Amino acid sequence: MSVLTDVRSMNKFSTGKVALSIILTSESVFFATMLVAYISMRNQAGWPVEHTLVRLTIPLANTAILLFSVVSAWRGTVSIRDGKTSASQGWQMLTLLLGLVFVAVQIYEFRHAGMHITDQTVGGVFFTLMGFHGLHVLAGVVFLIINLARTRLGDYSPTRYEAVELGTWFWYYVTVVWIVLFAALYLL
Amino acid sequence: MTVLAQISSKIREGAQSGFLLWMMTIDHKRIGILYLLSAAVFFMVGGFEALLMRIQLAQPDSKFLSPDMYNQIFTMHGTTMIFLVVMPLSAGFGNYLIPLMIGARDMTFPKLNALSYWTFLFGGVFMYSSFIFGGAPNDGWFSYAPLTENFYSPTHGMDFWIMGILLLGFATTIGSINFIVTVIQLRAPGLTLTRLPLFVWTMTVTSFLAVFSLPSLTTAVLLLFLDRQLGAHFYNVGQGGSALLWQHLFWFFGHPEVYILILPAMGIVSEVIPVFSGKTLFGYQAVVFSAIAIGFLGFTVWAHHMFATGMPSTTLLFFAADSFLIGVPTGVKIFAWLATMWKGKLRFATPMLFAVGFVAMFLIGGLDGIHLAVVPVDWQLTDTYYVVSHLHYVLFGGAIFGIFAGVYYWFPKITGRRLQEGLGKWHFWLMFIGMNLVFMPMHILGIEGMPRRIYTYGAGRGWEIWNFIETIGALIITVSVLIFVVNFFISLLKKATNEADPWDGFTLEWKTASPPPVYNFAEIPSVRSRRPLWDEKYPDLADWKAGE
Repeated sequence: MSVLTDVRSMNKFSTGKVALSIILTSESVFFATMLVAYISMRNQAGWPVEHTLVRLTIPLANTAILLFSVVSAWRGTVSIRDGKTSASQGWQMLTLLLGLVFVAVQIYEFRHAGMHITDQTVGGVFFTLMGFHGLHVLAGVVFLIINLARTRLGDYSPTRYEAVELGTWFWYYVTVVWIVLFAALYLL
Repeated sequence: MTVLAQISSKIREGAQSGFLLWMMTIDHKRIGILYLLSAAVFFMVGGFEALLMRIQLAQPDSKFLSPDMYNQIFTMHGTTMIFLVVMPLSAGFGNYLIPLMIGARDMTFPKLNALSYWTFLFGGVFMYSSFIFGGAPNDGWFSYAPLTENFYSPTHGMDFWIMGILLLGFATTIGSINFIVTVIQLRAPGLTLTRLPLFVWTMTVTSFLAVFSLPSLTTAVLLLFLDRQLGAHFYNVGQGGSALLWQHLFWFFGHPEVYILILPAMGIVSEVIPVFSGKTLFGYQAVVFSAIAIGFLGFTVWAHHMFATGMPSTTLLFFAADSFLIGVPTGVKIFAWLATMWKGKLRFATPMLFAVGFVAMFLIGGLDGIHLAVVPVDWQLTDTYYVVSHLHYVLFGGAIFGIFAGVYYWFPKITGRRLQEGLGKWHFWLMFIGMNLVFMPMHILGIEGMPRRIYTYGAGRGWEIWNFIETIGALIITVSVLIFVVNFFISLLKKATNEADPWDGFTLEWKTASPPPVYNFAEIPSVRSRRPLWDEKYPDLADWKAGE
């Protein structure tokens, strides 16, 4: 191999995407170990066979809300890439609203779950897993607000919109975690 | 410009010198120095705690420390040495050296870097403040549930521990992400992964280990926090919780943690031994792959810390066999270091003494680990002084010796002055003798059945003589550390010689001035082999001519 061809730039990846990928993998270990905690609670003798997580209407509605918000988040990124800044603002606004509705519905669900965190282990599992997911949704909402504000200020262009992409990635991630937790807590 | 930006630029103008300069720095070298100095202070504190324990145990039925104080001291000794000494010392070297070694001007995220340091510092100070707020944590560094529940640990010590661990885990996580991204993104032209200095490799593997294992600890302590503060029952067996859950979550972090502590030291040794042998590292690829293999295997052996918990025998067999496997990549490294020294032009300056001391001591510790991976042996020896001996041979004889090799090796780069050789040799030999006096007899005590973490013991069990010898050893280590402190200040007060390359080094950090300018390199170097500086100094003998 010639020496000259061997001397090359090492910057092939986007720094933000590399960093966010590592962060999300680390987050996945966090949620995976939370699920391990849940499964080990289920395997104990005290786990109630009939617990209160049987009403599926609210969590199904919330799943639909998040899935719809994924589409709008995706459209928000695509629009900015295509130079349609005002359309992107609309989609981002919609994503943000859906995120806030999700949080509001989650708070309602928490208040009407008929459980308390001290109720054996099932209460602890429900509020802890859902609570930490909810905190991630709120982090995603902050991410969306910043991106929306910066879009309005004209910080992004079709060649420079990585932060919007990263926010969307995070939003996808939050949705995937929700689906896993929903399946594990309500359906399993 | 917004008001906020105006204020911050005003402060920045005022921060051109003195205290504020260090408070507000985002330069990787200054942050590295802050890490090293803070961790050195914690090292003194943790060492002092060890000394208190050894004084207490020097004689049977001693009343020097109360049982409760003894529990606090051994808990804080372990927590300090792991989270506040070895991890930040590695982070300090990583911060200082990685950008220099890869030919970059700073880390990828300099502000995140500062955040990481200050979170670590305040996490440590926060944990220590528990001594004045009703008592330090006292359930050991691995804090087994349900002993840590409110009912058994009513003081706030555990709450300080939980929140301190969360802060330190956060600091390490963002620091590690910074290291990984920096190594991926900022390498100088030509510095391919197969040419990366070994220290950069091991720090990268370490960072991956940290990022993927710390979340498990975070989960463990968060659940404990919810149990203690909000009345959940995760670890409360009476209410359907699981005490074993803590051990799984903790050790799923705790075993990778062992490699988080030792891999950076292995990297340092892999830098020092070739330079002081005048040869390239033997089996570079094998050493790199063994570091990666150790990283992967490190995630699969956690339950060997739990052999005595009554797991099914297939599980025991799996974890025992898997633990033996780690001996293979570790052995590869030891042979590579020995083969590097073989027929080399050896120079036994202090960095080399500590590096060779590392190899010998780590080997003993590693072999002890193999003994403990044998299930029936472990059933006999678990929770005895044999385990204490094992972990100190790898973490004191290993990690700390490796770090001291790094301190003597890179001190001239950081300060522009060498540490004095004569005192350095005294430091090494006293520390080497002292450490073997402390930890070798612990093998015997362990086999004789002396449990770890007991605050005292009765006379007439045959334990007195070994415990007394160990305390003498601890005093010798104390003297050796004091010699180092004297050496540190004497050398700093000397006139700077500012040698850029005092050891005839191989890697890029020796190419720039000592201490390096803020921008590190006026011109980003390009790299053609694993020893870029060697190529430049000895163009006729350049590696890239021979290799490619």
